[in-house]
Amino acid sequence: MISLLRQCLLILGLALLPAAGQALYLRDKVSWQSPIPASEMVTVANARGWGSDAIWLDARTAEDFEKEHVPGALLLNGERWNELLPQVLANWSPEKRVVVYCSAVGCGSSREVARRLRQEAELKNVFVLEGGWEAWLAEKK
Amino acid sequence: MSKSPKSSPEYGGRVLQGPAPRPRSTIVWRILAIIIGALFVYAGALKVWDPIRFAGDIENYHVLPWSVNVRLAFYLPWLEIICGLALIFRRLYSGALAFLLALLLVFLGVSIAAKVRGIDITCGCFGHVSDQLSFAWHLVLDFAILAAVIVLWRWDRRPYRVEHVGY
Repeated sequence: MISLLRQCLLILGLALLPAAGQALYLRDKVSWQSPIPASEMVTVANARGWGSDAIWLDARTAEDFEKEHVPGALLLNGERWNELLPQVLANWSPEKRVVVYCSAVGCGSSREVARRLRQEAELKNVFVLEGGWEAWLAEKK
Repeated sequence: MSKSPKSSPEYGGRVLQGPAPRPRSTIVWRILAIIIGALFVYAGALKVWDPIRFAGDIENYHVLPWSVNVRLAFYLPWLEIICGLALIFRRLYSGALAFLLALLLVFLGVSIAAKVRGIDITCGCFGHVSDQLSFAWHLVLDFAILAAVIVLWRWDRRPYRVEHVGY
């Protein structure tokens, strides 16, 4: 039993070394306190204020999108990324801001879609909607 | 009076608690351990490559705050790799099996809990390589790995092993 505990402690220590090194190396690229830096979030009120300068992207499933979505929003999720991205890019122009939302309750894909838009499609001014779809519904009432 | 082999100094003062294992079955367990070890090295390496993305995957489970998730995202893949290597090279073997067993049980627990809560989880233990698999297939895969780890654990704790083999 003591041998097992000793082994466990040794493994914990061995894993800690490279993990700490990697975390130190990437410390400036990671947001340590929030999954999305405040500068990449936008509230419903602010996003609505952008009017036609904003492109709304729905990162939920196609079924949820079909039921209801933000007026004028386009569907873009990870499952059908290659198929849906062209229509997003066709509507995009450099002066426009992109607002990505999904369900705040059970979905983290808006963050992932925003990340891919920045990294893979190299779009600027991509924001994640604070509170997601639920915040939009609450604001609409 | 000659000493009994069970307490001979050639065993380093350790005690053989039963008959030596049969070579053929030992080879089978070694191969299984290497396969499981390689799987975990692979799974860990996939996540080590992009810890920020993995942090987002952990965040999707809505179990822990982000500040914890992001630290786990740096740590867990290396833990998987170290445990996988331990299985392959048979060093720190029991400790590695204990960790893998715990990791799998926790992962299965939070995956099932997330599904019950209606949370959309797209990531299994093989990161986004297994995105195409359905949740049911994820479960089948994870339970198969869990069964293999339990079998290895039982084999490692069998009564006739040599206690504390050199580690």
